[in-house]
Parts: sequence; structure tokens; C-alpha cells
Amino acid sequence: MSAASDLTAQRLIICVGPGGVGKTTIAAALALEAALSGRAVDVMTIDPSPRLLDILGLQVRPARPHDIPLAALHPRRGGRLRALRLDPKRMFDRLIEHYAPSAAARDAILGNRIYRGLSRALAGVADYMAAEQLLDLRREATSDLIVLDTPPARGAIEFLDAPGRMLDLLSSPALALLGVSRQMAGSLRIFDFAARAVLAAFDRLTGLRLLSDVQAFVRSFEGMYEGFAQRAAQVQAMIREPTCTLVLITSAEQQRVEQTRDFVSSLKRLGLRPGALIVNRVMKPLPDLEEIRRARLPAPLKRKLERNFADFSALRAREGAWLQPLRELIDGVPMLMATDLGDEPDNLKDLVRIARSLRVAD
Amino acid sequence: MPLPHLTLITGKGGSGKSSTAGALALALSNRGKTVLADLDQRQTSAQLLGIRIDERGNLSAMENLQLRSLTPRNELESFIERIVKIRAISRRMLRSHTFGYVTAALPGLEAFLMLERLRQLADEAAARDGFAVIDAPASGGVLELLSVTGGVRDLAPSGTLNRLARAVDDFLRNSGRFGVWVTARPERLAIHEASETLANLRDKLGIRHVAAVLNGVPDQLFSSTDYAKMLGLAEHRRLALQRKATSELAARARSQFEEAGFEVIELPMLYTSEFARPQLEMLAAALDRLARRDNKERSNLHSKHVRGK
Repeated sequence: MSAASDLTAQRLIICVGPGGVGKTTIAAALALEAALSGRAVDVMTIDPSPRLLDILGLQVRPARPHDIPLAALHPRRGGRLRALRLDPKRMFDRLIEHYAPSAAARDAILGNRIYRGLSRALAGVADYMAAEQLLDLRREATSDLIVLDTPPARGAIEFLDAPGRMLDLLSSPALALLGVSRQMAGSLRIFDFAARAVLAAFDRLTGLRLLSDVQAFVRSFEGMYEGFAQRAAQVQAMIREPTCTLVLITSAEQQRVEQTRDFVSSLKRLGLRPGALIVNRVMKPLPDLEEIRRARLPAPLKRKLERNFADFSALRAREGAWLQPLRELIDGVPMLMATDLGDEPDNLKDLVRIARSLRVAD
Repeated sequence: MPLPHLTLITGKGGSGKSSTAGALALALSNRGKTVLADLDQRQTSAQLLGIRIDERGNLSAMENLQLRSLTPRNELESFIERIVKIRAISRRMLRSHTFGYVTAALPGLEAFLMLERLRQLADEAAARDGFAVIDAPASGGVLELLSVTGGVRDLAPSGTLNRLARAVDDFLRNSGRFGVWVTARPERLAIHEASETLANLRDKLGIRHVAAVLNGVPDQLFSSTDYAKMLGLAEHRRLALQRKATSELAARARSQFEEAGFEVIELPMLYTSEFARPQLEMLAAALDRLARRDNKERSNLHSKHVRGK
């Protein structure tokens, strides 16, 4: 049994971790391994590298999960893998289309300059949309396992927090005061005036002409709040179900290890604990130095081989020193190592190799 | 190519951006006052150098090397304070939550203010004959950051922002003021991505000073006849071949970059069990050697040219 099989027996795997560690690769590898073992799996990726897009057949951004042909890899009966690439902007548009009270309100929001900026720029929108997509997949109930890759986060577990923050934003007095007639706006009209004055001054100075756009945007969101609140609560409940596992992914590099420390503490703040820590791209164990000493080789070549061994040993020692604080950090959480293949995965077989290289750290 | 007053270091995650930025800042601090700044508040290169930045974001680390952490919030504040001359009004703007949301949502405003800050850093560096080195986000983010001025000019067809956007555009295309280094390790796909980034920077964004940094290039330890002799030591041979493959890949990458017309800066693989200040100093020394060699070539070229006349 591979070290991955404990994980892939879950219903939902959420992969979190710093950017640039191969999070999407690991998510895809775990999903593929589960599919080969006979489960029906959906994997949802956010920002795959071009090569991974190729492997998963996602170059064209299909709106629906699409099947990846696995026959050549001989999956067990019932095994299938579908992949989906999240498009936060489009997902946000779909939500607006769904919840907008009228066609006019819908068009007003979709065409609004502030909305277009918000749906791209505001931290958390991609995270929130990932959660929305997850709810959609869940509702379909056609898979045994969903593997979710989350947007790169900067240290906090932004994805897990996203529904809450989205609610904060939409219900914020600041937005309400700008022109929405929510309950409180009447009593606080004076601040409304202040906010308008600030924006008007900013417009005059910068030449941006924002005020009318902001007012239109906020007004058009009226009536959509309830829908968002409901969905946010569902997502919060889902990530706390026992069949959901958080997998924290990192790589054996100094900075990533520091960022991982931040991740673990923000998980703690949310009352969550990772089901596993996967360290990606760990060096293979080194051969025995004695082999060189025993071998019948010319002395100069032996010296070179010894020097080469010493060089790689130094790198491995460096890696070990970086990983040490991680072991202490996640006391009790299984730590799995994925071996460095020397290059990025090129095809499905490479992904299988990655999943099967996972071993419990000694 | 002589170095511009401000060099921005980018590359994909794990390609050695921060170590390159730290090493370059060390090397430049021997020539003039140098500012090393990051845009993500992680202070990674400062940590590698063994220096921490204080709460206020500033610390004079060494006589000739100063550290900065640039944040969108601070840039917005200083921008507002600059354009709004009356403090009571600028303070009220900055305290307004609404204003915070709107500016965060406004496409590219934060990125743009960051670029405006880089322009100022370059101006300041030029004025004191010094340098600035920016430890920037990964390549995708940087392309987005550097292409933001067009959007700002569309959004604000006139007024302060429009004027600033034009000034920033000029700055990005001024090879004496602004340059970008793209870091990559000798891995097939990493090289491919770096080539694309470099081409985008030069051809789409019109940035005139772009260079490729090949990080972690191993020295060739074995001769070509050695590998056949170690067949009995399969695992050790694998390590030897791994080293050979990486070094060959670096050589291929080098000629690929050069054929496409990009300058290449090669930094050696350091086989050390630690990676901290002493290692950055080794890399800084390597950068210094490259710069001296470049100068020599240039002066040779110059003298040939003179003789030719």
C-alpha cells in the first residue's frame, strides 16, 4: 500500500500551501492515484503550469469537468478522473447571473468598472470562487473524491477564510453607506456624505471619475446578500466534515519552510489541523561512499567521485536542516516526501511516479 | 551592458530570485549606495543576508546597503499625501474604509503606485550615483505589474494619474534607469518559461535592459571518458551524470538565450551545506568578476574601434 492511499480514501482533499511548491502537481498526482485505484475522482486546479495544463487536457478551459483518458494506465474498475480549471472571473459572473434580481441589475453589475476590477483584483475573490465551484461539484454528487487545488496564498489560509471575508466585504458598513438602503444607512447618512466627499475629492485630483461607478456598483448588489451568506455557511461546514482532509504542501527550500510555518499557525487560528504534510521535490537518498573506496578505479577518478559525493552530501545536509523545523512544527501530523524527478512532470506516467514516490519521512 | 540604476529581479518560484537580488545588492554596494527592496514584505533577501527590517520598514543595514519593504498601503498613503496638499483631507481619505475598498478594486491602481515608487527609487539612486535592487514577485505577477500603465492611462484620460503614467512608461523604457533580470535554474521547462518572460518583457513591454540569470550552474567535474569507467558504481554514476546533464543544460540554455539576443549572467552552483550570508558573498564576487570582464571587453572593443578609424 502506498503512502498516498490513506489520503486518497477521503471524500474531499483540499491542497493548501505556499506558491511555487508544486501544489497543483501534487493535487493532480493524488487524484490520478486515487482514480487508478478504482475511485471516481474530480480534480479542480486553479493556476496550473502550461505543461500540467497539457497533461490534464485543460488548455481550452472547459466549463465543465472533462474526462482524462486513463485506459493506457489500466485503472481498476470504476476508476475515472475528471479535471476542471477554475476561472474565478467567470465563476463570479455566473454567480451574479444567478442571484441578480433582474436582467437590468445583472447587466449593470457585469458592465460596471468597479465590479470588473473587484472580480480580478480583490484578494480573496479567487478563493471564494474556488469554494463556490466546490459546492457545485459536491451538489452533482457523481464522484467519490474531489481533490481541490487552492490559489497561491501568502501565508494565511486564504481559501478557508474566503467565504467569511467575502461576507464581511459585502456587508461592510463602508459599502452600505455609499448608497445602499440597508437598514443602517438611514441613521448614518452623515458618514455617507463623508465617503462621497472623499471619493469626489479623489476623482477631482486624479481624473478617475469613480464616484458614480461605485454608487452604481453598490446599489446593484442590493438583494444579493442573502444568497452569498447561505453559500458561505455551506462552505464553512463542508471543510469541517470528517471526510475532508487538508493537505499542506511545501518544498524543501528555506523560504517555503518559513511560509509553511505561517500556514500552520493560521490553520490553528481557524481551529483546523492538516491531515498530512507533503514535502515536494525532496532529494533521493545518496549511495554509499564506501562503494567508491572499494572500487578498482584510477585514483584521480576516485578523487573526483568522492568530491562529487561530498558536493551532493552538502546539498542533502542543507535540505535536511531546512526540513528539521517542519518536523517539530507539525508534531503528530504525518509528513510525506515526494522525490525530486529532476524536471517537471511531462505526462500522466510522471504524475503516477510522483504519487508512488510518496514515502513517510524517517 | 552597464547596469541601470534600478534592477528588478524576477523568475519563477524557487529559481533563486532572492539570493540573486541579495548578491547583486552586495556587489553593487561596493560601487555606490544601494537600496535593496522587496514587494512582498517577506524580506527574504534581507534574511539571507542575515539582516532584519524593523517595524517601520527601514533599517540601514550597512553603510552602503539600505533595506526597504514596499507595501501597496504605504504607497497609496504617500501618493495621497503628495496629491492632496491639505493634511486634514488626506487623512480623512486614508481613514475611509470605502476609499480602501475602492482603491483595492480599482484595476491596477496599487500596482501602478508601486511602479511610481520604483521610478522614484531609480531617480534617487541616479542622483547619488547609486543603485536599487528589487526582489520582485514571480514572473507572471511582474508582467502584470509592468503592463499596468496602459490600463491607468485608459482609466484616467487626463489629470495627475495620467501624467504619472506617462512618466512611468518613459522610465520603464529607459535602459539607464530600469532593467529586469529573469532568474532560472538549468531545468528544461524553467528555461523555456524564462525565455518567454524575457521575450514578453522586451518585445511586448518594450523594456530595453533585460538579462537572463542562470542560477546554480555546476562545474564540469568529470571528463567525457570518465563515465564509462564507473559503470560498476551505478548510483554514483547516476549522480555524476546528473551533474553533467545539469551543466550541459545550462550551456544549451546559455546559447539559446544569447541567440535570442539576451545577455546571460551565469551564477555557480554552490555545493555547501548552508546557504546564508557567506554564500551570497560568493555569488556577489562572481557577479563582480562578470562585471569586470564585461568592462574589459567593452574597453577592448572601444580601442579596436578607435584603431579601426
